[in-house]
Amino acid sequence: MATIQIKAEVAGSVWKIVTAIGDTVEPGGTLMILESMKMEIPVIAEDGGKVEKFTVAETEAVNEGQVVAVLTK
Amino acid sequence: MATMDEVYAERKAKAEAMGGPEKLARRRAAGVLNARERVDRLVDAGTFIESGLFGTSGSRPEDHDRSPADGKVAGFGKIDGRECAVVANDFTVMGASSGATNGRKIGHMKRVATSRGLPIVFLGESSGARMPDHMGARGMGALLGNDPTQYARMRETPWASATLGLSYGSSSWYAVLSDFCVLRKGAVLAVSSAQLASLAIKEDVDPQVMGGWQVHAEVTGFADYVAETDEEALQAIRTFLSYLPSHHKEAPPVHPVPEGSGANMANIAKLLPERRTQVYDVRTIIRAFVDAGSFFELKPRFAKVAVTGLARLDGRTVGIVANNPLARGGAMDTDACEKITSFLVLCDSFNIPIVMLVDNPGFSIGVEAERRRAPGKIMNFMQALQLCTVPKISIILRKSYGQAYLNMGGGRNSDEVAAWPTAEVSFMDPTFAVKIVHGLSPGEPGFDEAFAQMNKDSEAWGIAAIYAVQSVIQPHETRDYLIRMLDVHRQRLTNGVGEHLMRAWPTSF
Repeated sequence: MATIQIKAEVAGSVWKIVTAIGDTVEPGGTLMILESMKMEIPVIAEDGGKVEKFTVAETEAVNEGQVVAVLTK
Repeated sequence: MATMDEVYAERKAKAEAMGGPEKLARRRAAGVLNARERVDRLVDAGTFIESGLFGTSGSRPEDHDRSPADGKVAGFGKIDGRECAVVANDFTVMGASSGATNGRKIGHMKRVATSRGLPIVFLGESSGARMPDHMGARGMGALLGNDPTQYARMRETPWASATLGLSYGSSSWYAVLSDFCVLRKGAVLAVSSAQLASLAIKEDVDPQVMGGWQVHAEVTGFADYVAETDEEALQAIRTFLSYLPSHHKEAPPVHPVPEGSGANMANIAKLLPERRTQVYDVRTIIRAFVDAGSFFELKPRFAKVAVTGLARLDGRTVGIVANNPLARGGAMDTDACEKITSFLVLCDSFNIPIVMLVDNPGFSIGVEAERRRAPGKIMNFMQALQLCTVPKISIILRKSYGQAYLNMGGGRNSDEVAAWPTAEVSFMDPTFAVKIVHGLSPGEPGFDEAFAQMNKDSEAWGIAAIYAVQSVIQPHETRDYLIRMLDVHRQRLTNGVGEHLMRAWPTSF
């Protein structure tokens, strides 16, 4: 089983986490939505997987490249 | 004494036996095709005519008997009825290493392909230079540098490559020199082997970390397409070539229009979110207006803020360049500039009209962008766009700001610019403009007056009123508009052939 680290592609703040721990996300599915550059930018699980944990919480600030969730597949 | 027929049959069987039953069985057990099986699956059944079947290693007499076809299977085959040249590395024969004879075979394939107007396909899996043939001053002098045009790419005909195993040296060179580069998962594309790299830098190197599919799909951007299997990789090459002409002096082939094309046009406006702060995947819009099933995306995991891909409209090939707000709001970085630039060069070199879809807040700026040579990359992109001589049509779906307005075909940088009624065009966010020019932030005295001055009308009607876009179209009219405008702009004077001003542009970045 592979562990997949999901990183934020942009700096911003966590607006909404739209999945829960234990959820299975389809390839291309949205894990959470960041607010950045006045836009709602989704964090996407390109290859899908099962949500193992989140490393950020709603309203928290994130940097570009920061790990925001860990998935297993 | 054996008859001539017997001698022929024996020699042919030996050449076609490749590296022997044991090596072939090991590959079969691993689910990997051998060189001849790959050629068979690449070309139309029964169309392969081999060149150099009886070639063997020419440098050392002791290698003659153990080098069938000298480790590289070459010849001509048809793909969807069109003639192509093929070079397939046979890793079971001396690691498909480069030797004098197979070098002549590749040279011949390239000369014929270039002079007769045939695409060329390279199936890569090779260990690099043959040892000890290349060793020493005499080895170097004899085997290297005898062809002054070996790596000179002038894009006379399309090149497509698949890297289907460990690939070092010339296999890697031909992969990155190609217009289309597929990597099969498990393959490695690198300058030299992980083992040699480990010796050179004195630390362990993981081949997949060094040159595996993820590196080339996401970091280097060399891989246009990643395949799970050999079969999928070979099919991807066939698909790619179906969009291209056989050579640069003809227009791409015209295909029948599949049933159901454009059937979802009535709903296309719904693919755009209601609020301008929300994002969407531009690929859903592309798939809705091109011929059904015809969108073939290139480099999908690299620089995802920009989408590049081939498609058909009314059966004719087009190259699509689109901002994708789904990734970082569509703000283009230096990787996106390079991805789009290389795609523009591909399209222009092979007479493929370009359709641009615009929705981005501008280029990504900041310290990191400058360190990654953003001004140079933005201008390379701009230069490529302005050197394109194929028809270009740009559609502003939503945002178009600043310099990126020009790079995405704004103004005279396209032959036609259309805007959806949802378009908004300006130089920068008015709040930022007030801060930069007047040093005022929202809430400070004087901000509101300064903001009113900066916050000029950015709607489509303003730019249409001064004819800086030629048309404002409803989203559901996009397919019909593009088909008609591409017909208006067809290059009748040259039978659909452009000037190819970027034919010698570097093939990778």
